[in-house]
Order: sequence, then structure tokens, then C-alpha cells
Amino acid sequence: MTRLVIHRLLQAAAVIAVVATSVFVLLQFAPGDPFATSLDGTDVPPGVRAEWRARYGFDLPPAERFTRWAGALAHGQLGYAASQHRAVAEVLADAVPRTLLLVGVALALGFAAGVFVGLLQARHHGRWPDRLLGAMTLGGVAVPEFLLGLLAMTWLGARWRLFPVAGLASEGDAAAWSAWERLLDHAWHLALPATVLAVSVAARVARHQRAALLGVLQEDYIRTARAKGLGEWAVLWRHALPNAIGPVLALLGLALPSLVGGAVLIEKIFGWPGMGLTLFDALLARDYPLILAATLLATILAVLARALTDVVAEFVAPRRTQGGA
Amino acid sequence: MNPAHSRRLILALLCLAAACRGRDAAGAAGGTLIVSAGADAETLFPPLAVGNQGRAVTELIYDKLADIGPALNTIGDVGFVPRLAQRWEWSADSLVVTFHLDPRARWHDGRSVTAHDVQYAFAVWTDSAVGAAQRAAFATVDSIATPDSLTARVHFHVRTPEQFYAFVYTLIPLPSHRLAAIADTALHDAPEIRAPVGSGPFRFVSWTPRARIELAANEQYYRGRPKLAGVVFAVAAQGATVAARLLSGEADFLEQLAPPDFAQLPASGSVRTAAYGGFDYGFMQFNTRDARNATRPHALFGNAALRRALTMGIDRATIVRSVFDSLARPAIGPFSRTQWTADTTLTGIPFDAARAAQLLDSLGWRVGTDGVYRERQGRPLAFSLLVPASSRTRQASAVLLQAQFKNIGVKVTLEQADFNAFLDKAHHGAFDALMGGLRTTPSPRGVRDVWGTPTTGRGAQNWGRWSNATFDAHVDSALAATGTTAVRAQFRVAYQAAIDDAPAIWLYEPRMFAGVHRRVNVGTLRPDAWWASLADWSINPDEFLPRDRRAAAKP
Amino acid sequence: MNARTWLRLFADRSARAASAVLALVAFAALAAPWLSPFDPTLQPDPVLLRLLAPSWTHPLGTDPYSRDVLSRLLHGARISLGVAAGAMLLAATIGTTLGAIAAVFGGWADAVISGLVDVLIAVPRLLIVVALVATFGTLSPVWLVVLLGGSGWLTTARIVRAELRDTLQREYVLAARALGATTWRIIWQHLLPAVAPQVAVAAALALAAVIPLEAALSFVGLGVQPPLASWGNILLDGTDYLTSAWWLVVFPVAAIAGTVGAALVLADRLRAAIANEEQST
Repeated sequence: MTRLVIHRLLQAAAVIAVVATSVFVLLQFAPGDPFATSLDGTDVPPGVRAEWRARYGFDLPPAERFTRWAGALAHGQLGYAASQHRAVAEVLADAVPRTLLLVGVALALGFAAGVFVGLLQARHHGRWPDRLLGAMTLGGVAVPEFLLGLLAMTWLGARWRLFPVAGLASEGDAAAWSAWERLLDHAWHLALPATVLAVSVAARVARHQRAALLGVLQEDYIRTARAKGLGEWAVLWRHALPNAIGPVLALLGLALPSLVGGAVLIEKIFGWPGMGLTLFDALLARDYPLILAATLLATILAVLARALTDVVAEFVAPRRTQGGA
Repeated sequence: MNPAHSRRLILALLCLAAACRGRDAAGAAGGTLIVSAGADAETLFPPLAVGNQGRAVTELIYDKLADIGPALNTIGDVGFVPRLAQRWEWSADSLVVTFHLDPRARWHDGRSVTAHDVQYAFAVWTDSAVGAAQRAAFATVDSIATPDSLTARVHFHVRTPEQFYAFVYTLIPLPSHRLAAIADTALHDAPEIRAPVGSGPFRFVSWTPRARIELAANEQYYRGRPKLAGVVFAVAAQGATVAARLLSGEADFLEQLAPPDFAQLPASGSVRTAAYGGFDYGFMQFNTRDARNATRPHALFGNAALRRALTMGIDRATIVRSVFDSLARPAIGPFSRTQWTADTTLTGIPFDAARAAQLLDSLGWRVGTDGVYRERQGRPLAFSLLVPASSRTRQASAVLLQAQFKNIGVKVTLEQADFNAFLDKAHHGAFDALMGGLRTTPSPRGVRDVWGTPTTGRGAQNWGRWSNATFDAHVDSALAATGTTAVRAQFRVAYQAAIDDAPAIWLYEPRMFAGVHRRVNVGTLRPDAWWASLADWSINPDEFLPRDRRAAAKP
Repeated sequence: MNARTWLRLFADRSARAASAVLALVAFAALAAPWLSPFDPTLQPDPVLLRLLAPSWTHPLGTDPYSRDVLSRLLHGARISLGVAAGAMLLAATIGTTLGAIAAVFGGWADAVISGLVDVLIAVPRLLIVVALVATFGTLSPVWLVVLLGGSGWLTTARIVRAELRDTLQREYVLAARALGATTWRIIWQHLLPAVAPQVAVAAALALAAVIPLEAALSFVGLGVQPPLASWGNILLDGTDYLTSAWWLVVFPVAAIAGTVGAALVLADRLRAAIANEEQST
């Protein structure tokens, strides 16, 4: 067991090293300059740019920059995000919790709704509720997520003013509000982006859940349970679901890394500056230390999520689960 | 008489009784202005704040010595209005300007603004370790002396017509008592810079990067407290979101409405527009040198006759109307109509597709076997047009240009690149033609860097490496002239040379329309800095929203 | 995968409907030059004829440049579907190859490939593609195929690896090995046919993922270069006019959603057919 864990850790370290190196190498080929432009696209004079490059060590040869970066990393320093004039660690400390919240809520909502819809569909297999929900889940996967976001922002937010258009919290006299009011307000701003994300998550989950349930419902023990006179919901809930949840949990495992990877366009549309938007901006600004640190974080989380999924899979389904994505 | 009217009447009477002095009237003050911003400030350190957003925030927090007047004159000190400097006087030889600071001026922490702060700021600004973007503005300044704590004496090397403007418009005095202990190299991200203490009408409250910046009225402002209680810059990265924030009523002000936003204004009901002059102009720039080898002329665009023929083939009025509707005018030349040197009587190259075709024929570019595109000795008349992915208007103009070029037999391939890659290619001259856009300044001087022959001290941003002796000579004479008539006359010749030699196709000048929530009274919006009069803006107390009622500003 | 699976698949009504939708889109793409009422890049009058609502002349309206939306949608099918199909083939090839290598060789090869898959899945795919676009800078349709295909093989590799590891333990493979067949021979003759249906499912899913991704890429301004039409850049023109020109949003979205939906349904039914076959054998 210990050997296995050590082996997995070594593999993980190797993967992380490979990713960090290849991202760094790839970035060397990207045309552009982290100091070419300000955040709103104002051109920086060439002479000044050269000074800024020198200050942050960007005039050094790539190999030396890489060793410096890796050396600093070994000392726990992630470097300096020049595009934001502050330390990478500070940028991540701002962005990660926002993405955790947004994607976390969306995954929770989406999985709960998806499993429920899947159950409903399996319950009414072949009849109109199944078909209607089937069409809806198909639409949820097939319509681009960013368009759903834009439509929600434009109509529900700006036109009908049912939800806040964007941002993390309302403007106003926040100091006079109780902690409870502030929490509610934050949740109110989270509602639209989280729901849009949750819709596409739920659609994917429901489609998997329905397929898995229908597969399980063919099994002998379900027939036995039915023969015993159990209600259809009881059969689904107690006997089918525990055996059909495996593939859905695997899907959850795949989705977990997005807790750090974020949702680029939804974050952009709803002015929710999480990791997706941060990484996107960092890419466009060629902010190499920030890109490397964010990729590294996503990598570590991916490796962890993989390990977690394996454990959960073992735990939930002692019998071999069906393969498939 | 309804209650609202009677309340207003009472207010007016109270105002009279208190000898109402505008912004000193506590009764009319209050409310929070929420600005919907498309980008965050990159830093709140004035020397490094190159972007428009950073400038807006820092110039609300920090006052300058004097501010440019409403006419935006840049010659001498005509029209300049006092800020931190109450008054100033010139030496007889014009090489020394003595600024007398306003004794009432205070930093937000209560300390007086002194001449040392001016001297210190100058030292910071000119230290290469700081890397101030606008350092070139101080090229003519020799030193600053401080005879006493309220007198700053600025010594210049040479007299130039814009010496006063360049110094005063750029330099922002910094609080030396807070910053002097910090090494210049560490200033850019010092905590004292991220939570700045300034001297302006608004003081810093908080900054959540990429989300919001909050400022509050400086109650002790030496020129009278601002009418607004606070200003919040709410940041969103997506253009549609920035507009939606305003249209939904969540925000009060948007610097520039895009053409598609106008269609949504009636449905919003809470937004009106405020027109002001813009300093932007857009163009399609030719690269006159070879994209790979700068010592050789460009195979096509090295030839001025071809550039002129291509310009003649483009119907700019149609492009402007299609992309901007009535929200822009065709550009005239390498300047913006808002600049005081602008000349609307210059002769442009008129649109005439038939004549353009004739010219191309006469240059040997004849329609080839496919019946569409022209060629000469087997070489097609084709080029690639570099477009930044970040600008929808430049993309749209490029698509229209491409179709118009096709009509006169020129094959154009669009090459979209993200803004950083676009700049990289532009700086290296690795393009045939590009969709350019510039925000000029009140001073016409910038034209020298963008369109002057690239040599030391000039043409640093001349991506197309166009070179024209007439243009250079007249720009140089204009910048050395002192009388406004003489300056105009020289620029007129220079501009005309640029139009005739066609280093670019001058496309559009957007007219600026800010979107404003109807409860907000904005003053005049200055083209170079819409925020310049923000201390005088007010919100009608009758129309206060819940968000306006904030607790008395925290110290 | 044998003929019976296919027959089973096409006995299914929704599979037939989905195939019909895909065939229709493919036909529209191939016949676009003959079906289109206008040249998709023609701008008859970008001032007076822009953003016209659907009419007899322009059944799907015109865009902000006065181009005919129907013609652009038809020609857009060529680019969108072509890029998607190319990316799908590329993704299936890379995914199958890497998945097979991981499964057959195991050890470090497996560790590196699986690890890489885990990591790449963790980063939003749009970001990977934007990073590659920023690095290499060109956006020709061929290059888009390389980018989208090169970033879309993860699921396929995962499925192929899992399937092959199972199959490697089956009796007939063990028997073939005992008879002295070489590894590559076994892979070619026994393993690839065994995973082909799963690869087909993964390919259909890859197709369904690429089309919205192309739209998202257009949305950030780095999609197919004008004046070429793609569903993504038609939709991009529409996003500026969400509240005023519905035809610029509804039609491209219908095209995208219809095609993606059809690909998803086909993947579903194919998977069901395989499951049925496995049960009946």
C-alpha cells in the first residue's frame, strides 16, 4: 500500500514537472511581451518597456529564467505578476476562492438536479416526461454555455432587472449591513452565473444518470425487488441508484479540477474575476509567472482529484463498474 | 403643489439662507456615482499608470499643480487653471517657472502639501529605476528648487512652446513624507502605493483588483468638498456586460457607448447620453518597408502612387456609417478634430473607384485571368491586413475594407491576432498593413512619434516606418513655433503632406457619447479626461437610490 | 464491431433521425455553393441593407455587413462541420494511439500519458486553445483542425486505454498471444476492432464538443478569420445585437445545437447498441 502511494506520488511529481517545463517552453514561442500594454490596451513606449523587462528579469536567457523560477518555487515563492503589479500568490489568493465558490455551487446544484432529472426520466422511461426532459438536457449540452450566459445577463439582468448583471456584491452602504445581509447579497450575485453553469452540468449529469439507471434496471435483482411489490420510486432510490451512481461520480471526478480551472467565459460575462478569467487575462498579457503558477495549481488539483476519484470508486462500487465516459 | 416641489422650494430657500456656495452646500451633497469600467487600473502609482483607467482613478486621488483649461490649449500657460499651485510666475527668459502652492492644500492624512513633495515627485518620475512611462515629458526640465516649503521653482534647459503644459500635465506631486523612505525600485508595489494617500477631491477607500475601486469624497478638500459622497469603479471584462451594467441601472456612468448599445437605450429608460469630443482616430496603416527586411522598401506599399490609388478606392463614408452609424466622422489625416491644431479644410483623397481602377491599370496592375483580382508580371496585388482581436470596431472596418478592396481587384487577407501578438508584430514591422487606432493627447506633439521618420527621439511608434521629409520638417517647425497661428500654419502643411503621401487610409474619428444615469448631473466632459470635473458632478437628492444612502464617510 | 451492431443502431428511430440531421447538415455543407441564394461575402449595401429582418429576399435576414445570413449559414456549415470533422478524426487518431500505447505498454508510458490526460482535462480547453493560438498566431481552418483536434483526444485516450486493458485480459487475446502472435499483430487484428465502437462513441462526443468550442473561440475574437463564414462567427456578429437582431442568434444557434444534439444522440444510441450486443454475446 505504502509503495503504491509513493509510486503514485512520484508519478504525480513527474507529471507536474513535465507540465511546468512544457508550459514554460511553449510560452517562449509566444509572440508578445508582458509589458507591451496596460490592462485597457494603452501602448507602453518601447524605452520604458525595456526598463520594465529588465527589472523583472525578462531580459535574461530563457534557461536562466526557468532555473530562477524553479528555484524560487522550491522556496515557496510563486513570483511576481507584472500585469497586475502584485505577487502571484496574492492574485491566486483572490481568484481561487471565487472560483471555488462559483464552480462549487454550480457543481453541487448541477449534480443534484442532474441526478434528480435522471431519476425522473428513468421512472417515466419512454413516456412524455422522459422525452421532454431528454430534449431539454440535450439542449442544455448542445447550446453553447457562453450564449446561455449572455442571454441570461442581457435579459434576466439588464432588461428585466430580476438579477444583478455582474459583480461580486451590490454597491451601497455595505458597512451598515449585517453579515447575514452581506452573505445574502453575495449569494444574489452568484445566482445567475452559478445557475447558468449548473444548467450545463445538470444536463450532462442527467444524461449519464438516465443511461446508467436504465442499464441497471435490466438487472435481475431489480426484477426481484419489483416482484416483491416495492414501489417504483423505492426500487429506483434504494436499489437502482446506488448501483448506477458510479459513472456519475466518475463524471464528478472529471469535473472537480474545474474548481480551480474555472469557467472562463461565464466568469468574463458575469464580471466574476475567478481563476478562469485570471488565467485568460494572464495568457493575453503574457504574464508568464502567473500562467505557470495557475497551471501548476490546476495540475496539482487534477492529480489529487484523480486519486480521490479512484478511492471513491473503490468505496462506492466494490463490484466492477461499467466503463465509459 | 405636490410634496416633491415643496421640498425643493424649501431646499432652495435654505440654500439662499445659507448663502449657498455651490459645493459647500451640505444639503445638496451626497450619493455614490458608480462608473461601469471595461478594465481595471493596472496600478494606482501615477508614474506607472499608463492606461486610461489608471489615469482616471489616480487623477481623482491626486491633484496636479495646475490643470489644462477647457480649451485644451497647450502653448504657454494660456487657460491653465490653478490646482495645488495657487499661482505661478515666469522668469524674464522663460527658463524658470515659480509655483506658489496653495497653503490650504493637504494630503488625505492631514499633512500640508509642500514644495518638497513636488521636488520628490520629479525625482521619482525621472528615476529610470521607477520606469515612468511619460518620462519624456520632462526632457526639458533641468531641476526643481524649493526656496521655501510653499514655493517650487522649476528650471528648464530650453524654452519650448509646450514646456509648461508638458510639465504640469504630466507631473503629479507625491506625498514625500510617506514615500521617501521607500527605495524607488520598491515603490511600484509598496503598500503605501496600493492604498494611496493623495491630495485630490476623492480619497482612496478600497481596491478589489479586477472587481472594484472605491473612492470617497475628501471632506477636507482645499477647494471645497465634492458634491458626491463617493465614486466606485465597477470593473467587468466583457463589453456587453459593461454596457448592461449601465442599462440595468446598476451603474451610473459609462465613458463611451458602443453603436449597438444605442438600440437598447429606449428600453432601459434610466439612461441618457452626454456627448463630448474624442481624441481617437482609426486608420489602415501601410507598412512602407519590407516586412522581413527593413532596409528594403515594401514590394507594394513602398510606392506612394499605389498607396494613393488604394486610398481612392475606399469609400470611407460608407465604412463609417456602417460601423458607427452617426457616431463617428471620417478621419481627415493624422490628427483628431478635437486637437486645437486640427484643420478641417485640408484636401483629402476623394473616393472614386473608377479613377482608382484607372490608376491601378496605369501602374501596371491589371485584372488577371480570374476576372477579379489584379496582377502585374504574374505577381498578384494582394496583402495581409493585421487586425487586433480585442477591437470589434477595427474588425468590422477590416471586413468592410476587404470587400471594398475586392471591388477594385485587390486581394486582402485578414490576419487576426490577440492584442499582445498584434503589438509584437507591429513593433517589429512584421506586417503588410494593419488596422490602427490612436488616442491622441491635447498636444499635437505625439504625431512626431507616430508618423515622423524613425530616428533617435522620433518615430518610436511609427510602425509603418513611413518617411516624408516635408512632413518631418514642418512638424519640427510647428513644434518650435510659439504663436498659435504659426503653429497651425506649419501643421497644416505637414498634415497635408501626410494626406497626399498616404502612409495610411484615414478611416474614422468616433464621437464620444457617455451613458449617464438620468439622476446624475455631469458637468462638461473634457475630451482628454472625462473625469476632470467629477468633483462638480451631483446626484439629485430626490432621486437617491438605496445605494446612495451610505454612512458618513469613514476616516 | 460487426454488421449486427450497425443494423441494431439503424433499427433505432432516434439514431435514424440523428443520422438524418447530420446527413442534412453535411449535404448543406457540400451543396452550399448551389443552395446559397447569394455569395456569402457579398456586401450589397452595408449601410442601408444591414441587419434586415428575415424576408423573402433574405429568408434568414442580413448581418451587420448586409451579407445574407442564409448563405453564410450554408457556407458556415462547410467550415464549422469541416473543422469539426477534421478535428474529430485527428482527435480519434491521437487518442486511440496514445490510449493503446498506455494500455499495451503500461508502466511509465501509462503513467505519463494518463497523468497528461488528467492534467489537460483540468485546464479549461478554451484556455489551452487560446494559449496555442497566442503562441502560433495563425487561424487558418487547417490550423484550427490541428488545434481543436490536438486538444480533443483526451476522452478518447481514456476510453481506449480502459477498454484495451480489459480486452487484453480476454481469452482470445491470451490465446492469440499463446500462439505466438506479436504484440502489434494482436493490437491490429484483435484489439482495435474490439475498441472501434467505443472509439466511434468518443468520436461522436468529440464532434459534439468541437462545434461549441469553435463558437467560443470566435466569441473571444480568435476563431475562423473573416470573411469566411462559420457558425461561430455568425453568432459572434449576433452577440452584439442580442436584443435587436434575433435572427443573428437564433439561426446559428439552431444549427450548432441541432448538429451537436444529433451527434450526442448518435453517440448515445451507439453506446446502447454496443451494450446490447455485449449482453447478447
